[in-house]
Amino acid sequence: MKINKKSYDGVARIFDFMRGGDMRRWGPDQRALFKNLKGRVLYIGIGTGQEIVNFPPGLDITAVDLSYAMLTRSHSRVQNYNGRIHRCQMDAQATAFPDNTFDTILTVCVLCSVQQPAICLKELKRVLKPDGELVMFEHVLSKNPVYALILKFMSHITEYLEGTYLDRDTVNNAEMAGFKIHSHKNVYLDIVKALRANH
Amino acid sequence: MNLKIADFFIGTFAGSLVALVVYLVLSTQPNMLIAMVLGGLIGMVLVMPLTILLMPFVGAFEVMIPLGIIGMGVGMTTGMLSAIPAISGYAVIAWGDLAGFTVAMLIYFSNKHLINQ
Repeated sequence: MKINKKSYDGVARIFDFMRGGDMRRWGPDQRALFKNLKGRVLYIGIGTGQEIVNFPPGLDITAVDLSYAMLTRSHSRVQNYNGRIHRCQMDAQATAFPDNTFDTILTVCVLCSVQQPAICLKELKRVLKPDGELVMFEHVLSKNPVYALILKFMSHITEYLEGTYLDRDTVNNAEMAGFKIHSHKNVYLDIVKALRANH
Repeated sequence: MNLKIADFFIGTFAGSLVALVVYLVLSTQPNMLIAMVLGGLIGMVLVMPLTILLMPFVGAFEVMIPLGIIGMGVGMTTGMLSAIPAISGYAVIAWGDLAGFTVAMLIYFSNKHLINQ
């Protein structure tokens, strides 16, 4: 199933409900990872803004999402954030930002949803400053064959339901795009990961 | 409730549910091999809606992985047990409980090991 902007718009109504359990689980790990956000931040795939509550205060964030419905639903969380968040409707695979614009780029469960993660990562590399940092909170395909089998099987269902692929090799994709991963922490098994990378 | 405790309850419940349904469907099946294959299939089909139902409350991967293993593993083993005429339904369900709890425990320790790496 090809996932497009309309599909994300459709999911927006139930997105908070569907991600409720994940947010309860991941809060402490996200807060620890998000401490690394600094300078001018690009937040890819803000969705309904569920992660904003885990951001440290005072950041200057540009948040993008493909779906207008998602952006609309993030409004109250953006308003309540103690810092600056500017939202844009934009495709992460082809942003409108000039080269070397951001000090930090954040992705939270985005590289599992974009159609072409390699192209998206190359685009992120383009807009990230040479001394900038890519901060990722992503789920990937497990190296354990039993877990991987389940993830591959369930990926067909999640792809249909909300356009999420569970069998992405995001660590490898990031390295192929030219990023060097310098911090790698497992959050749940070897599936959910908190990663930091630079040029 | 602490979500880590909930994982054990979910694992145990899913194990007993799969065992109960597999026993009810396959207790008259005399061929152990066919019962094992059918049990695995029934278990996998059964945990699918349960996974989708629980994901929003306790987390997607924390439900998906154990229930995937329980569906297939408990389904296959209880299918084989169900084909033995001398075994009672209670014993089969008790096995499902134990297996579900054991899977939850193995994943708990596997997770603990991996996140400390």
